[in-house]
Amino acid sequence: MLAWCLGWLLGGLLLPLAVAADPPRFRVVEAATRLVDEVYRLDARLDLEFSAEVFEALDNGVPLTIELQIEVFEPSDWLWDSSVAELSQRYVLEYRALSGQYLVTNVNTDERSSYAGRHAALVAIGRLQGFPMLDHRLLGVGKRYGARIRARLDIEALPLPLRPVAYLSEAWDLASDWHTWLLVP
Amino acid sequence: MLVTLLLLSLFLMSEATQDSARFGQLYVWLVGFNIAGLVVLVLLIVANLARLVAQLRQQAPGARLSRRLVLLFSLLALGPVSLLYYFSLQFLHRGIDSWFDVRIEQALTDALDLGRGSLDLNMRVVLRWQESMAGTLEEGSIEQAAFTLDELLPGSGASELTLMAQNGRILAASSNDPTALVPSQPNEELLLLARQGRPYVGLDPIRDEGLFVRVLVPLQVAGGTETRLLQGLYPVPSRLSALAGSVEQAFSQYRELAYLRTPLKYSFTLTLSLVLAFTLLAAVWLGFLSARRLTAPVRDLVMGTRAVAAGDYSQRLPQPGNDDIGMLVRSFNEMTRRLALSREAMQRSQQEVEEQKAYLEVVLGNLSTGVLTFDRHLVLITANRAAEQILGVALPVNSGQTLAGLAARHEHLQPLREAWTHHLLQGSGSGWQAEVTLFGARGRQVLICRGSALAATDPEHAGQVVVFDDITALIQAQRDAAWGEVARRLAHEIKNPLTPIQLSAERLRHKCSQSMNPADRALLERHTETIVQQVEMMKGMVNAFSEYARPPRLQREPLALNALLEELLELYRSGEERPVQLSALLDPELPLIDADPGRLRQLLHNLLKNAHEALADTPDPQIAVSTRRLHEDGRSCVELEVRDNGPGLPSELRDRLFEPYITTKPKGTGLGLAIVKKIVEEHGGMIAINDVPAGGFAVAVRLPVTPPESGSGDPAVAERTPTARPPHS
Repeated sequence: MLAWCLGWLLGGLLLPLAVAADPPRFRVVEAATRLVDEVYRLDARLDLEFSAEVFEALDNGVPLTIELQIEVFEPSDWLWDSSVAELSQRYVLEYRALSGQYLVTNVNTDERSSYAGRHAALVAIGRLQGFPMLDHRLLGVGKRYGARIRARLDIEALPLPLRPVAYLSEAWDLASDWHTWLLVP
Repeated sequence: MLVTLLLLSLFLMSEATQDSARFGQLYVWLVGFNIAGLVVLVLLIVANLARLVAQLRQQAPGARLSRRLVLLFSLLALGPVSLLYYFSLQFLHRGIDSWFDVRIEQALTDALDLGRGSLDLNMRVVLRWQESMAGTLEEGSIEQAAFTLDELLPGSGASELTLMAQNGRILAASSNDPTALVPSQPNEELLLLARQGRPYVGLDPIRDEGLFVRVLVPLQVAGGTETRLLQGLYPVPSRLSALAGSVEQAFSQYRELAYLRTPLKYSFTLTLSLVLAFTLLAAVWLGFLSARRLTAPVRDLVMGTRAVAAGDYSQRLPQPGNDDIGMLVRSFNEMTRRLALSREAMQRSQQEVEEQKAYLEVVLGNLSTGVLTFDRHLVLITANRAAEQILGVALPVNSGQTLAGLAARHEHLQPLREAWTHHLLQGSGSGWQAEVTLFGARGRQVLICRGSALAATDPEHAGQVVVFDDITALIQAQRDAAWGEVARRLAHEIKNPLTPIQLSAERLRHKCSQSMNPADRALLERHTETIVQQVEMMKGMVNAFSEYARPPRLQREPLALNALLEELLELYRSGEERPVQLSALLDPELPLIDADPGRLRQLLHNLLKNAHEALADTPDPQIAVSTRRLHEDGRSCVELEVRDNGPGLPSELRDRLFEPYITTKPKGTGLGLAIVKKIVEEHGGMIAINDVPAGGFAVAVRLPVTPPESGSGDPAVAERTPTARPPHS
């Protein structure tokens, strides 16, 4: 988060010209939780779309890290919401030149799957089905909780020479807005 | 501190650029920190620049030197650093470009194509083999299919064969790995592809097991009413897998590197640019710092010099170091220290001089002797209080007042000017002495004056000191004592024998006259009568002389001179044996005088009698009496003149006329005018003989006017002489 802010700072310093913001290429289409065996399971569908520059980097062998950030929080009417749990699901997408396939690696589970097309790989990354989010017993009784999810491209995981360009370029600014919903038991 | 931090940050940034594993995570932070630091540096420089511009406008000391140093530092840094920057960029870009070679890229591409071709051939073989296996599974139940898979697996070369429904549900499976509980499932994309009736073959890396060829073939069962999928996983030979992986890794790295070539150049350029900006800004900043360090002692010196010029010798400048400026500052501090010591010594000396001067002034002020000093141009330099008291005037010192100017302003000081000028101009070093008689408002004053040259190394500052004393009272006392002695001797030596002489002569006439004849008796009586008359005359003379020598016991009181004069004139007019024309011209505004009426009556009587006696042989005797008021130097006196038209006075007696026994008359005692002079002097007056062009004799008497209660005369003198001078008596 801090590096992200710093990136904006650098962008502001080095590129003072204002650039019209494009609509976000990452978008949370839907997200919902269901309580199964005292565990909140998350079903979500995210629409992940890369810019041409990012696809070019991917096809040139640059591995891309996409992070799904999930938070459970207790809303506050006054100050900031208090976080109850923060989860991060990271995927590395890379192009394998030999097979011509796109390899998706779940960093958390180290599961790998290959896709013939990059769109299929992005669809696979953007789909969570029954993801175990939180144990219901960790939440207080009678309290109101919320959950939110977003996806972003982790620039810090890019090769170092690419980071300044990525911070300064709109094409690399890939992040969805937070999608929030109430946690219903 | 800032410069050090920036330097460290740039170093870390350079390390991060070269080795992303160590500082890669800090790279953006380092870039941000460097940019922020440079911005702070720029702000500092701008602030210093603004201050320098303000100092230049104010022409502050050291400002021009600061400007020169900053420019020098900037120019010295700009040239080499710019050159270094340019050539570094060139070298860097060319160096990065040199990493890439078309032949290497082509070789890698060819290697990849070769590997891919080899695998493609293998995959095509595997696909055909699996399609043929799929044909054996189109008939029979699912249970039979399981057995069929177990039979097919050993000869197929696959590590796993799985029969699945369209939706990916596993119907039957056979695997070489007895520990594999769940067969590897294809992803949705492959299932969709297979559902469309299209076989799939592709390389698929499986975790911990290496590279596999995944084949998915659709097959129709139950008369073509149901589609099933047969998946086979064929391990790529390890040697081929390793080689293919190696080629793929090399190709991918090369492609990635080639793709990152431009960002890499950008990254290095950014780092170099930051280093360039830091170097330039640091040089300018160091220029400011050096200028400040260099000009601070210069500024201190200027301020110190100004302070010294303003008379502040307490300035001690901080020691900047042991360099040349430090030596200069040390010299300055030593100079101010010595100046301070000199000033202290001078102040002490001046204080001693002041004390000496004050001591002399006190001594002079308490002297009863008047002291005056004049320069070589006869300008009055100093005068003590006694001088002002004796002379009765205010003496302005150090105002350029000359002796002649004083005499012009104060008429009664003319005798001083006449007596002193010659001696003062002559500048006699051995000293001189003179006696001067003044007549001022306080009457006649006899001054004994002594002068001497002042010792001076410079002739311009040469001068004379004159000390004088009022010896009027002393002379009077001496005269009184002398005449008192004369009177005493007359009483003893002359007056005492006179009575026996007179008695003897009378007895002789009485005894002898009866026995003598008439002629002898007449002779005897005539001679004895002569003796008696002469004795009587001698007695009168002795008595008169005693009267002259008698110590004065004046009974002073305010006296109207005109009234006394008219009274006496009336007596003379009525008692005249000879017709003498008496005329009086009396000033009606004549003020009162402070005098003894009896003594003054005697004075007037003596003057009138003297005039009468002088007119004995004058055919038309006339006596003119006049009074008038005189103003001299703001002081008033009364002048009485008794003038006759007699034979006048021989010039040889003029100077001695007022001494006893000096007379031109055959019957005169010679004491009349002497007594008059004595009475005048007792009253502090002055007597003089005036010339009468038409012939005759005129005596002028000046007597001081009675001072009013509030005092009169020069207020400055009155202020400085609180105690009135005692009358001459």
